[in-house]
Amino acid sequence: MSVVEITKLSAEERHKLVAIPINGQGLKALLESGMIWLKTNQQIVNSLNVFPVPDGDTGTNMVLTMQAAFEEVENTGTENVGQLAHAIARGALMGARGNSGVILSQIWRGFARALDDQETMDVQLLADALQEAKETAYKGVVRPVEGTILTVIKDIAAQAQVSVQRTSIFTEVLADIVEAAVASVDRTPELLPILKQAGVVDSGGKGLLCIFEGMWRFINGDPIDKPLTDVVPLSEMDLADTMETIEPGQDYEVVIDFTPNTGFNLEDYYEELTKIGTSIQVGEGDGIYRMHIHVPLDNRYQPIEHTMTLGTIQKIMMENLVAQMDERKNNKNPKIKLTAVQPDEIATVAVSPGSGLTRIFASLGVAAIVQGGQTMNPSIKELLASFENLPTDKIVILPNNKNIIMAAKEAASMTVKRVAVIPTISVPQGFSAMFRLIPDGDFDDNVNTMKEALDEVETGEITIATRTVEIDGVQVEKGQVIALHNGHLVSSTQTIDEACEQLLIAANTNDYERITLFYGEDMKQTQVNTLADKIRSVYPDHEIEVHEGGQPHYQLIISIE
Amino acid sequence: MSDPGYKNNELGSILIQKDAIASIARQSTLQSYGVVGLAPKNIFENIRQIVKKDIKYGVNVDYDHDGLIIDLYIIVEYGTRIKSITNSIVNSVKYNVEKTVGLPVRRINVHVRGLRISNMD
Repeated sequence: MSVVEITKLSAEERHKLVAIPINGQGLKALLESGMIWLKTNQQIVNSLNVFPVPDGDTGTNMVLTMQAAFEEVENTGTENVGQLAHAIARGALMGARGNSGVILSQIWRGFARALDDQETMDVQLLADALQEAKETAYKGVVRPVEGTILTVIKDIAAQAQVSVQRTSIFTEVLADIVEAAVASVDRTPELLPILKQAGVVDSGGKGLLCIFEGMWRFINGDPIDKPLTDVVPLSEMDLADTMETIEPGQDYEVVIDFTPNTGFNLEDYYEELTKIGTSIQVGEGDGIYRMHIHVPLDNRYQPIEHTMTLGTIQKIMMENLVAQMDERKNNKNPKIKLTAVQPDEIATVAVSPGSGLTRIFASLGVAAIVQGGQTMNPSIKELLASFENLPTDKIVILPNNKNIIMAAKEAASMTVKRVAVIPTISVPQGFSAMFRLIPDGDFDDNVNTMKEALDEVETGEITIATRTVEIDGVQVEKGQVIALHNGHLVSSTQTIDEACEQLLIAANTNDYERITLFYGEDMKQTQVNTLADKIRSVYPDHEIEVHEGGQPHYQLIISIE
Repeated sequence: MSDPGYKNNELGSILIQKDAIASIARQSTLQSYGVVGLAPKNIFENIRQIVKKDIKYGVNVDYDHDGLIIDLYIIVEYGTRIKSITNSIVNSVKYNVEKTVGLPVRRINVHVRGLRISNMD
């Protein structure tokens, strides 16, 4: 039995699949479409949660329950609707997660019982099955709370009974059901005060509505795998790209990070935003939302004002797109501004392997940069030239690589200036040393404190092995991802994520507070963001930062401090 | 050790008795989906219940220095996933008791004493 990808079926094929009387395969298609649409709207359902209890993500729980039900029947070819319904009920029971999942499994159980021994299902039978589903759902609790998923299935069942008196066309009955479910969900705050307080509708009821809505959309030929409003995980938001699609008249880019108040309704928020601007993206991660929008000059404060009424704003970024575009056109790489040292001050020279890292060094107050790193060691002459012209005779060199320390020392011995080489073997060590620099302080004191700083940071490097070798007791195959901790090989794995995970363990990350990822030229920003999210979930108490490093060869340079 | 439900403020003292906590836990349990009833903790309670309605029926509340320990004796609807139901009970009882009473709940032990079969599949 080949698996049909139901989302790709044409409207005609969909109608044929779920024609009245509905057989087992038709019911399976309905189940799957309900599941897909629920999954598509999972985040919206989750966002309706009122109770801050563990495992309380109603959307997720219902999706997992539906998936368990679907997996049970996925490869079943039976045309018998009763058998299929019983299999669904069994799967839902086994996979029921959370309160809403258990109720959902009871609904399927009752539904299946009504279809016992039935070959196919007509609309009357559907209505009876929904009635039985409702009764079974209510039997599961002594004190049913109204204004929940229970109320919604009750209203659905009642509507189905009425509808079948009027028509025997399945799509019409289903349309009535969905309409009743929408009304029922909207009414839940009237029945359950806590929902009204929080300004939301019931999440379980909304989940059930999504399931029926999915079935209806499927038959109607509407897409069920694309949300009406878009929420993407924060890590997948690629704001750099939106720059390219700038529309005339949209002069400002506004990005707002905020935590919504309870009762935040994403659909309404989206709708309001579309009135203000374009290129809208909303991302969510750990309860924090990030909104991105392009707006005309006059509207540039509107998104902020609007968002402020809905939650607590954490960060606002606003940029003039027109000016930014001009700058981009003129200069692909914005100019790096190095610190101009005064005579008698200490100047630092840093060896940097990538443009992003150079920019960070510059922001930390480096007076000169020498390009170089692994496999591209700068010459002594280059190093010498970097500081010979600086207007001071107190120089500190940060080689930032084991292989460059010697050259730096050579360069130091060839000048009349007073030069100290801080033996930094990595870029993070270089940064750590730079943080300690007091340019107008005593030279020896500075050198000493900068040297001390080297022990306070753990360096991780992730790269791809260029040959098969065994180092530090680790066997490495060519092409594998390897992780180096302070220059020592700690693991070789298949993926960057795994390498990173093992590196963080090797570096005793739990003893530190901050993890910074500098990604190289071979690595995409979205990839790093996903990785950063993963790290965040493993080390929730750590501060995690991501910067563009731009270095070649090393996918990641990681600083743990 | 002293009753954690006992608190002093400048005007007087507040005592939240175990019975009060038990009735909150009881209410919350009965509203949990899948629970069709409470069960006696032991044979004596079973007999006592016949004579007089006991608000602690099926619920036991105790405490140590870390917080409350609540035992729940329940009957579950046949054909539901007991693991999910009991998980939900623990979460909702903990939430409701901590929210209303303001005392930390350290443990909730759920004893499934029986199943009620209302429909055979």
